[in-house]
Amino acid sequence: MDNFLQVLLDGVLNGLVYALVAAGLSLIWGVMDVINFAHGEFLMVGMYVSYWLGFILKIDPLFSWVAAGLFLFILGAVTYKIIIRNSLGKSGMAPLLATFGLSMVLKNFCMNRFTPNFRLLSGTILEGKTLSFGGAIISVPQLVTALFALVVLSLLYWMLKKTRLGWAIQATAMDKEAAELMGIKTENIFLLVFGIGGACVGITGGLMTSYLAVYPEVGGLFSLIAFVVVALGGFGSIPGALLAALLIGLVESFSGFYIAAVVKYVAVFAVYLAVILLRPRGLFGW
Amino acid sequence: MSMVSRKRTLFVALCVLCTVLFAGSAFAEEKIIKIGTLFPLTGPSAVSGQNCLNSVLAAAEVINNANPDLNIPLAEKAGLLDGYKVVIVKADHQGKPDVAKSEAERLYNQEGVFAIIGSYNSSATKPASAVAERAKKLFLCGASSSAALTERDFKYFFRHAPTDAIESKEFTDYIEYLNKEKNAGIKTIGLFYENTEFGKHAADEGKKAAKEIGLEVVADVPFNNAATNLSSEVQTLKAANPDVVFGAALGADYSLWVRTMKQVNWLPKMAVNYCTGYQNPAVQKELAGDGDYFMGGMSFSPELAQKFMPEAIKVQEKYYRPLANQEFDSDSLQEGVMLLILAQAIEKAGGLDTERVREILATETFVSPLSLSGEVAFEPGGQNVKALSVITQMKDLKYNTIYPTKYQDSEPMYPMAPWDKR
Repeated sequence: MDNFLQVLLDGVLNGLVYALVAAGLSLIWGVMDVINFAHGEFLMVGMYVSYWLGFILKIDPLFSWVAAGLFLFILGAVTYKIIIRNSLGKSGMAPLLATFGLSMVLKNFCMNRFTPNFRLLSGTILEGKTLSFGGAIISVPQLVTALFALVVLSLLYWMLKKTRLGWAIQATAMDKEAAELMGIKTENIFLLVFGIGGACVGITGGLMTSYLAVYPEVGGLFSLIAFVVVALGGFGSIPGALLAALLIGLVESFSGFYIAAVVKYVAVFAVYLAVILLRPRGLFGW
Repeated sequence: MSMVSRKRTLFVALCVLCTVLFAGSAFAEEKIIKIGTLFPLTGPSAVSGQNCLNSVLAAAEVINNANPDLNIPLAEKAGLLDGYKVVIVKADHQGKPDVAKSEAERLYNQEGVFAIIGSYNSSATKPASAVAERAKKLFLCGASSSAALTERDFKYFFRHAPTDAIESKEFTDYIEYLNKEKNAGIKTIGLFYENTEFGKHAADEGKKAAKEIGLEVVADVPFNNAATNLSSEVQTLKAANPDVVFGAALGADYSLWVRTMKQVNWLPKMAVNYCTGYQNPAVQKELAGDGDYFMGGMSFSPELAQKFMPEAIKVQEKYYRPLANQEFDSDSLQEGVMLLILAQAIEKAGGLDTERVREILATETFVSPLSLSGEVAFEPGGQNVKALSVITQMKDLKYNTIYPTKYQDSEPMYPMAPWDKR
């Protein structure tokens, strides 16, 4: 029973983190129909921002996530302004290849500037802290990241559903031309969406630095899982991303423990394939 | 064709001819020996790959410059044979076997390298060295430890490092020593390894050696490298609660493994590592106190080198540290050693005849002050029969040698101190 609870909690906590990583990607994909291949590298940049703030200025990841989120908001907006805007409307592949190029630039830039060394922040406020719950042990840094994920996702959902900005984003996603006729400046909406997408992944990266090593390749598998989550949850759907991410986290955790650790990603991708075959637009797609 | 354009064509052709002729004579005058390096310079093992490359570059400096201060064969004079310089041609296999194969082909066929040194990951060394064997070219391997590599009866493949089989035997010898001398009561074992050529072979050898001394294997946990988390893997280990764990996790996975064990507040009584992130001082520095009490097989540590390999320290300070900004580690050093051994073989062969150099590598014993045993000799298949490693234990960022007793500089700390008592 202890093991079951531990595996369940691990799955839920990892799932919530995946949800926040995927939320930005989902938003960008849903609104602009653009696949941001540099999403994993955005996560890595967010982690580096938090790491260096912790290492040089001794700012704990509990606070530096704000800076990481802000930095990635700006990086996302700049990416849209310089790269995406110029590649939109040229060919379906253009934005995809452009963001792939950006991912290479970011990864190699960090490799060159920071070396491929693994960097772990030590002496953080939450380091080593655990909670015991029904015989299971919960890592506090992971719990805090997961709770932040819930809060950020709720805010994002509220913004999309209850504010004029959110309605404008939804209108742009549904019909760009019609939204423009209604007076919505879709150009600004795209810029904002890319910025918000960056901020979400920046916040996640900033918080993850309290328990995960930073290195230039760290975003790889996270980004792959984020793509699975978005496709599974439905493009542009925040509740879909949350549910899909929880499903992925639980499948990964239970298959890893009860079948074999080595098949956990096989199980994740098998579930993804099954859902895509049965419901191609995902669970909650727009 | 008009007269003018015919003259122009003739002029261009003459220019090309002159360029080729001059370039040819320039190459003829340039006395260089191209040696390829094939390491994971990007990807999950990039830290170790960069260290390996820097080690080979440092060894090239030892060969190319006159170093009368170094008591290493060929160090005193500058260059090889009658003034040949070693030029390193770098390639990156990203930790991917298919890339390793194509890069090996490129290095031999397009770059025209005399030999390749590499490739750290056993999974990459395997296909790359198969390319060399087919092309009848030399492939020298420093650190890849999969025993299968030297069980292929290859003629052009030579490896410096002790194999996983040798290390597994050493680990179980140590367990027997602890059980006998320290009443350690070690009865069960778990294996935690990356699901690659290296990890799987290390685990197979570990199980074989454990069986020989009657240990019960209670956990067999392979994992996918560069994972986002190792929660279920560590949970599986914790549920089985083995007395000792043999680990084979490289770089970031090693630090994630250690941190995850801390998160779930569990440790075995003892954790011994093959050639992994344990041996990388940069990884240990990041882990700080969390890396304490873990153990691993090593052919080099700064502490060991002070006593038994003083020349390695000199090379480290003179050439390696300025490149890598850190000390040698067990894996990287061995890649550099292989260039020094190749240089000796070329010098003994008196030229760049691959067959002659291969024959010398296969038959002679080489003096190697940068190897723990001080010598290198290869048996058929290419394994270094003089390969030696010791078991060290990490404490306060120091690798203390604890076994064999001949090399021991510290008492083993057994069992590992629990996380809440550190």
